[in-house]
Amino acid sequence: MTQQNSIATNEVDLIAVSVAGVVAHPAFPGLPAEPYRLANDGTPFLLPTYGGIVYNVSTGDRAFGWAADCIHPGVSIYQPDDNQNRGLNVFACVGNRARVVTGGAAGTTGVVTGKSGRFSEQVIVHIAPEARTRMAVGDQVLIRAEGVGLSLTHHPGVTLKGISPGLLAALPVREEEGHVAFGVTAQIPAHLVGAGLGLTSEGGSLHMQSTDRELLAELRLDQLRLGDLVALEDTDSRYNHGYLRGARAIGVVASTDGPRAGYGPGIAILMTAPAGQLGSFESPEANLVQLLDLED
Amino acid sequence: MNEELRWNFDELVDMAVTGQVSQPAMRRGGYVHWPDGVGVILPGMHGITYNARVGDRAFGWAGDHVEPGVSIANPDEQADYALHYLSCIGNEAEVVTGLARGARGVVTGEHARLLVDFPPEVLEEMTIGDTVQVRTRGRGLRLLSHPALEFKQTSPFLARALALETQGNKVTCPVAMELPPRIMGSGAELNAEFVDQDLMSGDRALMAELGIDQMRLGDLIGIRNVDHRFGRSYRDGWVAICLCIHGDSVMTGHGPGILTLITGPADLLDFHIEPETNIAHSLGIRGSA
Repeated sequence: MTQQNSIATNEVDLIAVSVAGVVAHPAFPGLPAEPYRLANDGTPFLLPTYGGIVYNVSTGDRAFGWAADCIHPGVSIYQPDDNQNRGLNVFACVGNRARVVTGGAAGTTGVVTGKSGRFSEQVIVHIAPEARTRMAVGDQVLIRAEGVGLSLTHHPGVTLKGISPGLLAALPVREEEGHVAFGVTAQIPAHLVGAGLGLTSEGGSLHMQSTDRELLAELRLDQLRLGDLVALEDTDSRYNHGYLRGARAIGVVASTDGPRAGYGPGIAILMTAPAGQLGSFESPEANLVQLLDLED
Repeated sequence: MNEELRWNFDELVDMAVTGQVSQPAMRRGGYVHWPDGVGVILPGMHGITYNARVGDRAFGWAGDHVEPGVSIANPDEQADYALHYLSCIGNEAEVVTGLARGARGVVTGEHARLLVDFPPEVLEEMTIGDTVQVRTRGRGLRLLSHPALEFKQTSPFLARALALETQGNKVTCPVAMELPPRIMGSGAELNAEFVDQDLMSGDRALMAELGIDQMRLGDLIGIRNVDHRFGRSYRDGWVAICLCIHGDSVMTGHGPGILTLITGPADLLDFHIEPETNIAHSLGIRGSA
């Protein structure tokens, strides 16, 4: 584990509870719907998308350049019942410990690295690549869900969202009276925040937009890696995600880029504040691989 | 009518679709939340709205996502998609059942339901479940003289009423106001042929600074640096011309609904501000065209 910060929280008051899901099968809309989605220039495309066991994309890998539409690294799990799936999606926190409990990899441990939102609603789990080869779609994964209700003792204006106490303690932090800042690899301007705006900020994800490739290259946002901590400027994610000058949200890149308009890498939001209480500073190594010591 | 504009009106198919006047419905729990989390229960969507009409203010109602006029839907999901995708703004609607049978209205928006304006005296005769038939015409609309522009949900009636002007290859459209792309929110996950994208009104001080809080239902809206061809996203050098179809919201990431009508590259499509540009007048819904 990396060095721990000393930021004060109510961790001792948190409940740890089981949530579980099964490995999701990739799916398409039913026929006669076309299998194509449309890229932002109207070109039909047919590419792998969310769900399933992904053998060759892991947290820590590049977020851009895959022949894919918003792929989840590692293993994606869900519950077939909508209400139970909400329970899984909301209570599972990034950094929580996961354990494969059925199938060929039973007993293997992993870590929650992200979530996805509207149209997919899955929880993304890092399992070491070797163990993935022993897993099957339908295997059950149990998560020790711990983090909902977490707060910063000295920063009540900052709202935490779906972050485990363990990940919080591993983040690079600079604390001052009335203000706290966390290390991030990049800052995303408000006009590049896209799909997920107006949707729930309890679970799910918020995507950056990648249609304007030149602008991404200019801002070096096309260098993002899965697992990178990022800050979203002027974004209020307390109750839904939306625009507010001075607000800030910090999250983790949870899924890859994709060709659709309004979409790009999906970001699982971890914290937010509406009026300058939350800041960020550049920390090029702020990635879940290092912060959570993820297994290769 | 500008003679430099050549339309493909004679190619467009004229087809009937129907929906029924919807009953207001709410989710269990009922609350919607202000940005600070305070929960409220408000009317707005579905049904017959007697006192909010195209041309009225979009902000300041004690309501959430107020849909002006009559909100219709078809109970069969696939038929409902046809109602959504084939109907165009400015299409003529007719009440075909009930006490208001024979009354005529105009499609003014497409949200989770289709929004149709009828005169107040017609609303008094209507009830939940009445069937409204729309003469859909406009899908496939093109400007033969300016083929780079894409039109969405624009009827021939609205196309004429937009009062487009030409400057060589460039078409410019009068709009009531401009919105900055950074406040375009909920709906970024949808395709641009379907419903709308809410402007995010959560920064209330910004709404007042830019005069956005003066927006009216039915206002034409211009946005620069967005591409609305296949979804709605930020792209330098593109323009969208849109329409305000529903009222403001208390919820973060939401606000008045902005429906796409035209999109194109900025060297071929532009807009200019004429504050009174509203379909309540240009379509003759409230007073003269």
